[in-house]
Amino acid sequence: MKFHHIASVLLAAALAATSAAPVLAQSIRIGFHAPLTGFAASDGKSAVQGAELAVEQINAAGGVNGRKIELVVQDDQARPDQALPLANKYIGDGLKIVVSGSYSGPTRAAAGVFHQAKVPYISAYAIHPDITRAGNFVFRTSFMGEVQGKAAAKLIGEILKKRKVTLLTLNNDFGQALTAGFKEVAGRFGISIASEYTFGMGDRQFGSIVASVKKDDPEILYVSGYFFNGGPLVAQLRAAGVTAPIVGTEGFDTHNFITVAKDAAEGVMITTSLDRDSKAVPMRKFITDYETKWKAPADMVAASTHTAIYVAAEGLRRGGADDGTKIRAAIAGIKDFEVATGKIGFNELGEIYKAAQVQVIKGGQFRFFATIDDPVLLAPPTK
Amino acid sequence: MYLLELLLVGLVWGCTYAMMALGLTLVYGLLRILHVAQATVFTLGAYVGLLVANHTGSLALAFPAAALSAAALGPLIYRLVYQPMLDKPPYVALVASIGLLIAMEDGFRLLFGPYGLSFTRNTWFTTTYSWAGLSLNVVQISMVIAAVGLLSAFAWFATRTRAGVAWRATVSDPAMAESFGVGVSGVRYQSFFIASALAGVAGVLVGLLNNLVEPGMGAMIGYKGLAIIVLGGLGNVPGTLVASLLLGVIESFGTVYLDKLLDRDAIAFLVLIVILMIRPQGLLGKAH
Repeated sequence: MKFHHIASVLLAAALAATSAAPVLAQSIRIGFHAPLTGFAASDGKSAVQGAELAVEQINAAGGVNGRKIELVVQDDQARPDQALPLANKYIGDGLKIVVSGSYSGPTRAAAGVFHQAKVPYISAYAIHPDITRAGNFVFRTSFMGEVQGKAAAKLIGEILKKRKVTLLTLNNDFGQALTAGFKEVAGRFGISIASEYTFGMGDRQFGSIVASVKKDDPEILYVSGYFFNGGPLVAQLRAAGVTAPIVGTEGFDTHNFITVAKDAAEGVMITTSLDRDSKAVPMRKFITDYETKWKAPADMVAASTHTAIYVAAEGLRRGGADDGTKIRAAIAGIKDFEVATGKIGFNELGEIYKAAQVQVIKGGQFRFFATIDDPVLLAPPTK
Repeated sequence: MYLLELLLVGLVWGCTYAMMALGLTLVYGLLRILHVAQATVFTLGAYVGLLVANHTGSLALAFPAAALSAAALGPLIYRLVYQPMLDKPPYVALVASIGLLIAMEDGFRLLFGPYGLSFTRNTWFTTTYSWAGLSLNVVQISMVIAAVGLLSAFAWFATRTRAGVAWRATVSDPAMAESFGVGVSGVRYQSFFIASALAGVAGVLVGLLNNLVEPGMGAMIGYKGLAIIVLGGLGNVPGTLVASLLLGVIESFGTVYLDKLLDRDAIAFLVLIVILMIRPQGLLGKAH
């Protein structure tokens, strides 16, 4: 009985909070969903922090057309089945623009709903190709997986001049898209695939893969995955005496990767969109403000959601805050827009081109190694 | 040599599973409860072990700390969750157990953050011994020693001590044991104590092997533990050990030879389904 009492008090408080919301109607609301709980909660935290920093900076600079912006954050648990009710809630609440700070599963599921409702929807770092194909109200401000895989092939074949590679692929859409892009152009850079092993999202122990890599003895390894499986994998490879260089992906682009892999992380290279040593003002400002505000090093996920919120705000600035169709047209017209992850603009599919950054881990920090600026190789699809 | 290395990797994994599954089979044997929430105990052990190791700088101290904290939580779960449900059908406790596991995963996330924690100085992981091309690090060696040592200690307890006899008597016939003066309730607490301490030690070892202790680290090993005790013949201790090692080895080979088709966890559960189709009573269980 007591429990029911407490529950009803909480419910009443929640209702009061909801009905109090219109008081803030002066600010423009931007929907933002991310995995705040569940297996991807670590990326969810970075995602929200990056987005909140963007909101703070934009508001501090005067907001959008004189109005403040605010985030309406929802938790999608990185699950597609959570994305539909959440998308319908945003649409029902009359939001005119929504940003996904989540993985491909929920983003892909929600994209069609937002397109149908004529609500512009920006995917910050989900990589599945079908997301932007849901319709022209959907945009993406990061690399597609295939494109990043191609950048890695160029890095390995042309810059590092390695020929015999072993692929260690995470068996979800992220890992498979990276590997598919890599394989598509590997031949062009004289790379031969010595062997390929896949692992699951939940895997942390890779003894049999490590034994196989030792047997195959490749010149270099291309490893997909996130910090929580890539970190242990790299550590286990090095502990077992594998010395071949390791090229990772933006999934490793977080300081947590270094915390987990420790000394084994030294020398690991990644392709990503965040250059810590960049001289570009928006990128520098993002990195320093992020570290000041959150007392943690910036990562790719935070930079990507930060970028997406800036794009959303730019859409609102140019298209007004009331009409999804006008906002969509405004975003589609963005060209050479300078944000934390570089200078971006959209093609007819809602994809961007940007140069890929190669970072290398030195002295426990991500450092500049190279930039791969190849508009032909890294061109996003247009349909 | 390569095949031998895969076998070795599989046996180490099998030892991890054995330390988890023994506790599950103990609890099942006594109460007919599928104690999925043991994974929570495992995760708690890992977190406590890590915090102690990082504060004191001693990896060895992590083990008693983990075992004790886990051994405190297990009986508490029995007292607060399972005991009030003992007169309900077993699936009620199972549902509660799964609920507890999921809730505690987010509890750990709220307490310790979503990123997971790492050992500051994980020297056991980086110290490697090699013989003839086979290499094992100190954590892997410890995993094997802990599993063999603790399970042997348990076997000695069950067969050579009065408390062990009381425990076995309670498993086979609680009412009869009680009429002979065995404190059934005490035996139950003992079982949760032992099961949880083992899970806590396994938790630290897995944390050291991954160099990562994270909120969700227990879930898959918890569910696999269930698969293993079913495979071993529910409540059958030797069967559980055989099933643990077998599953470890199958996964080790499977992750290399079947990885394009199925992931490691799918392989484990597929094997479970196939074996249960052939031997519904489990590997060493007796047909009814």
